[in-house]
Amino acid sequence: MNSVLTSVPPYVLLAVAALAVLALPRRLGHAAAALATAFTFVQAVLLDDGGTGAHLATQLFGFDVVFFNVDQFSLLMGVVVGFLATAAVLYAYGTEAPTWVTAFALIYVSSTVATIYAGDWLTLIFFWELMAVTSTLLVWQYGGEAVRAGYRYALFHGIGGTFFLGAVVVHGASMLGSVPAAEIFLFSSTTGIHASATLLAAIGIGINCGFIFLHTWLPDTYPRPHVAASVFLSVFTTKTAAYVMYRAFPEGGMWLAYLGGFMAVYGAFFALLQYNPRRLLSYHIQAQLGYMLAGFGLATYVGEFAVTGGFAHLFNNVLYKSLLFMAVGVVIYRTGVEDIRDMGGLWRVMPVTFLVYLVGAASITAVPGFNGFISKGMVIDSAHEVHNYELLFGEGLLWWLLILGGVGTFMSFIKLGYYMFFHGSATLSPKDATPFQTAGMLLAGGACVFFGTPFTYGYLIDLMPFTAEVASELHPYSTSHLTESAWLMGAGFVGFFALKRPLGWLAHRMPDADAVTYPAVFYLARGSIWGVTELWAAVDRAVMNAVAAVEWTAMHPREALGRAGVDVEIRTGIGRSVLFLTLAAGVALFVFVLG
Amino acid sequence: MSDVLLPVAIALPLVAATLPLALGLKYERAGWPVAAVATTALAGLATAIGVEVARNGPLSHALGTYEPPIGIELVADELSVAVLALVAAVSLATLAFARVAGPRGNSFYSGYLLLVGGLTGLVLTGDLFNMFVFLEIVGISTYALIAADRSGASAYASLKYLVVGTVGASLYLLGVGYAFLATGTLNMLDMQVQIVEQASYADPLIRASYALIVAGLGLKIAVFPIHAWQPDAYQRAPDAVTTIVAALVSTASAYALIRVSYTVFTVDFLAANDAITTVMLIVAGASILAGSALAAMQSDLKRMFAYSSVAQFGMIVAAVALANETALLGGIVHLVGHGLLKFGLFLGIGLLALGYGARELDDLASAARSAPYTAGAVALLGLGLVGIPPSIGFLGKWYIGVGAVEASLDGGDPAGIGIAAVIFVSTLFTLSYVARVIERFYFAGVGLSDGHGEGDHGDGHDEDGHGDDGHQDAHGTGVAADGGREPAAAAGSGTESDAPLTPVEGAPRSRFVPDRVPSAPLVILVLAALATVALGFAGYALFEWFDPFLTEVFA
Repeated sequence: MNSVLTSVPPYVLLAVAALAVLALPRRLGHAAAALATAFTFVQAVLLDDGGTGAHLATQLFGFDVVFFNVDQFSLLMGVVVGFLATAAVLYAYGTEAPTWVTAFALIYVSSTVATIYAGDWLTLIFFWELMAVTSTLLVWQYGGEAVRAGYRYALFHGIGGTFFLGAVVVHGASMLGSVPAAEIFLFSSTTGIHASATLLAAIGIGINCGFIFLHTWLPDTYPRPHVAASVFLSVFTTKTAAYVMYRAFPEGGMWLAYLGGFMAVYGAFFALLQYNPRRLLSYHIQAQLGYMLAGFGLATYVGEFAVTGGFAHLFNNVLYKSLLFMAVGVVIYRTGVEDIRDMGGLWRVMPVTFLVYLVGAASITAVPGFNGFISKGMVIDSAHEVHNYELLFGEGLLWWLLILGGVGTFMSFIKLGYYMFFHGSATLSPKDATPFQTAGMLLAGGACVFFGTPFTYGYLIDLMPFTAEVASELHPYSTSHLTESAWLMGAGFVGFFALKRPLGWLAHRMPDADAVTYPAVFYLARGSIWGVTELWAAVDRAVMNAVAAVEWTAMHPREALGRAGVDVEIRTGIGRSVLFLTLAAGVALFVFVLG
Repeated sequence: MSDVLLPVAIALPLVAATLPLALGLKYERAGWPVAAVATTALAGLATAIGVEVARNGPLSHALGTYEPPIGIELVADELSVAVLALVAAVSLATLAFARVAGPRGNSFYSGYLLLVGGLTGLVLTGDLFNMFVFLEIVGISTYALIAADRSGASAYASLKYLVVGTVGASLYLLGVGYAFLATGTLNMLDMQVQIVEQASYADPLIRASYALIVAGLGLKIAVFPIHAWQPDAYQRAPDAVTTIVAALVSTASAYALIRVSYTVFTVDFLAANDAITTVMLIVAGASILAGSALAAMQSDLKRMFAYSSVAQFGMIVAAVALANETALLGGIVHLVGHGLLKFGLFLGIGLLALGYGARELDDLASAARSAPYTAGAVALLGLGLVGIPPSIGFLGKWYIGVGAVEASLDGGDPAGIGIAAVIFVSTLFTLSYVARVIERFYFAGVGLSDGHGEGDHGDGHDEDGHGDDGHQDAHGTGVAADGGREPAAAAGSGTESDAPLTPVEGAPRSRFVPDRVPSAPLVILVLAALATVALGFAGYALFEWFDPFLTEVFA
């Protein structure tokens, strides 16, 4: 059974399904797509621990490569990506997504799954770059504003991909000698990426993770394409990046943990300032990635518990973040409005959407009973054990950052919900979600609840790595956790309504890093292009003039001498010829006789 | 009895040389038929000699009743047969061109046959003084032929050659005199023995003798810096004369240098006198570089390839001075190959001048369109001159280069590597001027009537005065810089001429080819071009043929 399953790489099926979406009628095509994504999910569930191993291993360019590497981490990614992609395909069908959107989305999912199942850095970097290409296509498909944003997105990911490629090359070169040459790129040869490639890898993967200052593509791109495309985009690139980050740095590091902490605060803070719902959610992607990275970063300091926390949060984030994008997408799809201040009172006309939003918001804000509560709690618990830079109440800086991020998250989702569904009288009266949208949202939302209740959260832990070590330590519904959560919520409510005005004021004045980086990059690029062009032109002119001068001098030696003020006959006449001959004979005699 | 072939081969053209003048009393056009018969017979004799040498080894014949070393001996070995074959073939083939291109008149053909006889004698003689006599016959008939079209420029060129050529020949005679003083003999083989027995390789008399002979022959070969007569002579002489002179005269002198250096003075003499070979290598290197660079500077086609000869003979002199087997083989192959290449090139240029009035590089625009076969053959020969395989031009250069590197590796003497480097640089120069010719042939040209070409030349170059008479002497000497970028430094120095090649009035037509040139010389040109390529495949055969000579010389 397993051997059959492990011989079928799911991403090939997904790629075929992408073609099927284009070739078949819309309904059939989407059915095929949903089947392919569902297969990805079912395969990962069925394989479970029994299927681990390096499958489809072969050689490419003389290097060992593994096209289907099954272990606990890739399986958990396969489960959630397959599950969510199925929901997203249903949602896309219900949102009248053009077949091209679904096709691009599927090929994007395909490259994502291939990245997840890669068993060596060579395969991984290949599909990583492919992911950047396919996601760019998915953005571009929408046209309009998405095209320019797509260009910026492509630039970011091109640069990031190049850094990461450099890291892979450095890694390979550094591995030479310590393992057989063919095996230098295999994951199994080392733990993580070689130390010499740390910086390159951190920057390359960090761009996809949305590191602070490298994150601006996130809120720039994700609000612009088709709403169904946003659902796909919001989930795969960043979460795969977090997963690859763990692959590269399985031992973590405090730098990663603190970076995660700051990302949580930074993302939540900027989310708080947004009025475009998808832009707000995009900033939250950065914030939530911060929690995951904080968990991975504590891998050594705290141990498996933190790693599991990070992965659990990754897993949950895929579910609730796409759920939120779906809910917001429904509102945008039905109303065509992209500013939450223009919405309001929608809970009466869109009760289903409102409920779904509530589930998603409760999950992301870690309300007890929803999956975010479990995983965020695990990360915060891990941070609890870090006591560098102690601040108030004997808690360390990291813990405070994560808590602060949590409060900010709370505030921003109160804001989002308040503006969309309450806030003044209803001026719009759109219909509620379509059946297939509802189906997609129910799948994702159901999972959010399923993995969060006190009775069923164990299944989440079962899916995680290090289940045995972690299960015994995990008590999410302890009194302290519930109290913590209550404080968090309280602070969030109070904070939002107290700071509503100053935040509104700030929203118009607070620029993100892109206010500096985009013009800087633009003018730098324009300047360098101008410089290179002009420099080349100058070199060209100089060379051509020099060549022309040499040529002219060679062709008119007499005239050239004349211009230099030397007026002599340079042709050798009869007299001079005889002189030369005599001299030559004389020299020959002299040398030959005396030499 | 087959050794009688040798005196007959020399006597035949010399005797025949009197016939045009004698018959000219009665027949106005006796010259060409006489020359044709004589050179055809010579070709037959050369073939017979070649077969004989191939079968039974070197031939020798004592003139008159005096036995060597007192009497004059004629010798034919593998080396002389190779050069003799070239002489016979080129002198016969050039006649086809001379018939249509002139100069006409019986006296010209007398001179022509005298030259052929002198060359044959020079190649076959086994006596140093006899060699001087034939050198003078060749020289004097060449002076006369160069001035055969009676123009002022050619008269000056001829006079210049006459004066310096005479001095050069005198130096050679002086050298022979010194050698005679030291050894008491003039026979080459005998002198080879006597130098060791009666003198020594370090004897100042012997060294001075070699110095004078090398200086004299160096002038005849035209190595830098005593080459000045040669470009003028080649450029100003009538086209048919240039064709034979460029192919044979310097070649015969270079043959004489090889013969004197290796048969008379021997490789041991060269080995014993490092200073001599060093100076010769320096001169040869300078000759290669200067000749190539000067050739690249020329805009007149004949002058360009004249300077090219300075460089090519520099390589042959270098091969002589390197004194190793590979280099000498290369030198001999290049000697013959270069003769063939230059014959073809000057024939091609002469044909273009005859049919289209083109004498300058700038006149050649689109030549490949109006004269595809002529242009193609010239291009092929040019590429052979650069040394692009397969071509005999490549073989010669290659062996010289390999020999130079070998000499360095064996002796640790850096001069060999230097020569190899110089040959490489020269190849680049050669490529540059040959590429200019090919560029004109195939890529230049505007305003073709059939709508091809570039039409307008971008920055509005005036297509002044093209078309009617095909050749304008008033052409600016602007260069063929592409893309119409007028060189700033050359502003006002004339415009670049892109007028396509147009035939002169009355140029012959052919039913088979679009080239407006006479058919018989065209066929010969194409054959010559193909022969240089075919010989490019004959590397091993050439090695086999010259092996006995080389073995004897390096024994």
